[in-house]
Amino acid sequence: METAPRQIVAFGGGGFSMESGNPLLDDYVLGLAKAERPRVCFLPSASGDADHYIVRFYRAFSAHRCEPSHISLFRREQGPSDLRRHLLSQDLIYVGGGSVVSLLGVWRAHGIDSILREAWESGVILCGLSAGSLCWFAEAVTGFHGEAKRLRGMGLLPFSNCVHYERGGERRDAYHRFLREGMCGGYAAEDGAALHFVGEELNRVVASRPQARGYRLDVAGRRVVEMQIATTYLGDREAPPAAPLPEALSTAPAPAAG
Amino acid sequence: MSGNGRLPEAATPVRRILALGGHEFSSRPPDRAVCELLLRLAGERGGARPRICILPTASGDTSEQISSFYAAFGERPCEPSDVSLFRLGRRPLALRDHLLSQDLIYVGGGSLLNLLAVWEAHDIASILSLAWRQGIVLAGQSAGAMCWFEAGITKSSGKPLAAAGLGLLSGSLCVHYNNEPERRAAYLDAVADGMPSGYGLDDYAGLLWEGEGNPSSLTARRGARAYRVSSREGEVLESPLPVRFLPAPAPAALREDIAEFRRITGMRKRAGWLG
Repeated sequence: METAPRQIVAFGGGGFSMESGNPLLDDYVLGLAKAERPRVCFLPSASGDADHYIVRFYRAFSAHRCEPSHISLFRREQGPSDLRRHLLSQDLIYVGGGSVVSLLGVWRAHGIDSILREAWESGVILCGLSAGSLCWFAEAVTGFHGEAKRLRGMGLLPFSNCVHYERGGERRDAYHRFLREGMCGGYAAEDGAALHFVGEELNRVVASRPQARGYRLDVAGRRVVEMQIATTYLGDREAPPAAPLPEALSTAPAPAAG
Repeated sequence: MSGNGRLPEAATPVRRILALGGHEFSSRPPDRAVCELLLRLAGERGGARPRICILPTASGDTSEQISSFYAAFGERPCEPSDVSLFRLGRRPLALRDHLLSQDLIYVGGGSLLNLLAVWEAHDIASILSLAWRQGIVLAGQSAGAMCWFEAGITKSSGKPLAAAGLGLLSGSLCVHYNNEPERRAAYLDAVADGMPSGYGLDDYAGLLWEGEGNPSSLTARRGARAYRVSSREGEVLESPLPVRFLPAPAPAALREDIAEFRRITGMRKRAGWLG
């Protein structure tokens, strides 16, 4: 039996949380799972396990195309009692947005961080947007509350990360400043763009919006070098996938949302 | 500096914590009695319109907890607010300044484990400890009561387990004492196994610390009790404490009618209609 590759899909923003009616990124991550009816577990910890968010997850990942579940760390008595077993049995773990500071705090308290590392190493695909993207990286730029701040993530990916990387946005300036101040190089993604990592390597950037892009950022001396990465728009049937893995190739691009 | 400059500079403000075994913000009489007590404690520091802030962190900042708080205090003589750490993205707030300008900080129930983890991540514990030393009343129920102690019994992981609190108060606390026998059993075991001794609180029973010394115990529902739980030579002792009963105030509608009645009586008196 071949070992499944370690995979993380980090959305700059998008999916059912932000793009109602545009399922391209959610379809993409679901398509990465090889199972016919993938087991998908939603972790809404960054939102404080908001009920409306959980309901929206179940609407987006309906039971006819996957086996959805969620773990609420604020109401443990209602969920699976063995968190580790549940998480390790998934094909895809989907982390919602919100406060990354709170997310990491709650995960540590319940030992979720080490379980997720184990899940990643055993081939469970990890994905998420916003806080659910930042958490996987060594360092992150959070702008959730007030001024943009620098913080340490779980470090599965040895890079820095910035989400909602819109042109002219405050986060962009803050990220560049942090890089000049010694933050490790990394990746940024605009809303609608997702960074797909296989192992610790960026495999490709996909997007649910034609203009959304991902970026590579490095520091040369005191200068920040920002490089736009070729991005595959998932709504374009004709677009050839950019150097994808076999499992990524098997993903049928969904039609563009109206 | 004392709160809002409304109190004279005191050398050491009285440190006050109100720990409640369990209640809701409903219109039922015992819940109204709890609200009245919170208003009174806040008013003793803040005057006619004290500032009362809820930290709903332990619930994950549920709309339910926040809206029931506003429903209870919105129409009362106070300035209610909430600090929802999970919602700061949409409502930025100067956390420290806001919390330190309160007269009473109320912590809602939920997961004790998550409460402390999120507070630690946002560095809230040091602010609360400072608030306490400045005389801001700290209060809460369930997880929001146990958090002030050295230890408590939480069901944050499903089954009742011992967990550490902030330790502003020495000893331990177990909440929902009458309602959750498994929690009480876990507490008695934990105290026998060396958890610092402390208190058991039924729903609607409370303990109020005002300055040094022992707390006073109170109840908003007849029959609800507070217990001192201690271990002596391997045996756990559970002794009920004498409690003071807090009667419920009249409901809002009745309160308004009474005020109206008094106003009319006053007018009639002034007009010389009554003797």
